[in-house]
Amino acid sequence: MRGIASLFVMCAGLLLAGCATDPTGANDPYENTNRAVFDFNQKVDKYALEPTARAYVAVVPDPARQGIHNFLLNLDLPVTFANDLLQGEMDRAGDTLGRFTVNSTLGIGGLLDPASDFGIPYHKEDFGQTLGTWGVGEGPYIVLPFLGPDPPRDATGQVVDIFLDPTTYIPIREHFWWSAGRKSLAIIDVRSRNLDTVENIERGSVDYYASVRSLYRQLRNNEIRNGRPDVKNLPDL
Amino acid sequence: MIQSFTRIPVMGTLRLLALAAIVTLAMPFAAARAASPAEDFVQNNVQKGLVILNDGGSKEQKREEFRNFLLKLTDLKRIADYTLGPVRNSTSPADLAAFEEAFREYAFAVYESEFTKYSGQTLKVTGSIERKAGDYLVSTVLVDPNKPNDRDPIRVDFRILGTPGHFTVADIIVLGLDLAITEQDDFSSFLAQNNNSVKALIAELKQRAANVRAGGDLSGK
Repeated sequence: MRGIASLFVMCAGLLLAGCATDPTGANDPYENTNRAVFDFNQKVDKYALEPTARAYVAVVPDPARQGIHNFLLNLDLPVTFANDLLQGEMDRAGDTLGRFTVNSTLGIGGLLDPASDFGIPYHKEDFGQTLGTWGVGEGPYIVLPFLGPDPPRDATGQVVDIFLDPTTYIPIREHFWWSAGRKSLAIIDVRSRNLDTVENIERGSVDYYASVRSLYRQLRNNEIRNGRPDVKNLPDL
Repeated sequence: MIQSFTRIPVMGTLRLLALAAIVTLAMPFAAARAASPAEDFVQNNVQKGLVILNDGGSKEQKREEFRNFLLKLTDLKRIADYTLGPVRNSTSPADLAAFEEAFREYAFAVYESEFTKYSGQTLKVTGSIERKAGDYLVSTVLVDPNKPNDRDPIRVDFRILGTPGHFTVADIIVLGLDLAITEQDDFSSFLAQNNNSVKALIAELKQRAANVRAGGDLSGK
C-alpha cells in the first residue's frame, strides 16, 4: 500500500522535476504547495503525533522504550546491509552483519544491544543514500502529507528499500498491519526521542519551514558522506 | 514534518543547531591533544568558556563575561554578513551595520538562553585539516559524562580562520549540520517572504533577543 503510494509520488515527482523551474536557487519550485503541506503536517504533529509521543514517554518505562528502539533499529539492518553492499562499503557491511547477528541472538531478537558493547558501531543506510553515492541528485524539494520532506531521490529509495527488506517476503496473513504497526511505532519512537530537539529548532528559526528544509538536506548529505565533513564545499565565509 | 525528524540522529543532540554553540564553545577538553596551532586555539579558548560557565558569579556578571568572550573568540561580523546571502550586496551600509548589530545581540541571546543546559560535557580534539592558508577545520567529539564509554559520540567541527595569534571561530558544524549555512537558509527565506527587507529581519531578530532578555524564549512570541 505504502509502496504503491510512494511509487506514485516518486513518478509524479520525477515527471514534475523535468518541467520545474526555481528562480530562488533553493530548488524548491513547489514552495507554496510545500508550505501548505508543511503547515498541515505541523497540525498533525501538534494534535496527534506529539501528544502521542509524550504519552508514550509518560506511560512506557524507559527500559521498555529502549528495548523497542533497539528492536526497530535491528529490523532495519538487513536493508542497511544490502545498501552497504550496493555502495561497495564492505567494512561497514561487515559491521552491519555482525550487529544483526549478535543482537538478533544474544540480544534476544534485537531488544538488547550487546553489539555496541562489543564495539560494533551502528549506522543506517537506505537506497536514497545509495543513489546519492552513485551521483544521483536529490531533485526538487517536495513535502508530502504525513511523511514530511521526500524529494524524488529519497522517495525512490524508500520504494526500493521495501523490496530490499526481507520482512516484505514473510508470508504472514496480516502483513499490512505488521508493516503499518512497525512504521507507526518507529515514528512514535523517533518523535519521542526528539521532543526537545523539534521544539528548539522551531523556536530558534525565523522561518521554520526553511530551517527544516536546510537541515533535512544537510542531514541527508551528511548521511551520504557517512558523517565525513565536506571539507571542499564549506561556505565561503 | 514527521519524516524529516526521523532522520535527525536520536540523541537530543542538536537541541537547536544554533544553540549547540553553547554546548560546544563552553566545553572542557577531555584530552590535551594540541597538534597544531588551530587545534591549540580551539582547546585553549573552549577551556576559557568553561571557566566562565562554572564561575560562581551572578547571572549578569556571567552574561557579560561570556559576551566579551564570544566577541573576542568569534568573527560575528563575518558570520552576520554571510547569513544575509545575496541580499547583502544590495543592502545599504547603514542597514548592514544595523543588521550586524542585531545579529550580534541575537547571537548573545541564543547563547544565554542555553546557559542552563550545560551539564558537564567535554570535548576531545580528534584532528584538523588546513583547507588553505588561514582556513582550518578542527574536528572534535562531544563526550557525555553520563556515557563515558559512548562509542558513537557527537562530532563537532570548528571552522577556524586567521593566523596563529589572530584566529577566530567562523563556523561550527554539528553532526554535519553547518550553523552558518542553516542561518543563511533561514534568513534568506525570511527575506524572500518579506520583499528582501533587511529592516524586517532586523526587527525580527531584535524582538527575539529582547524576548530572551525579558526571560522569555527565542520564539519572540
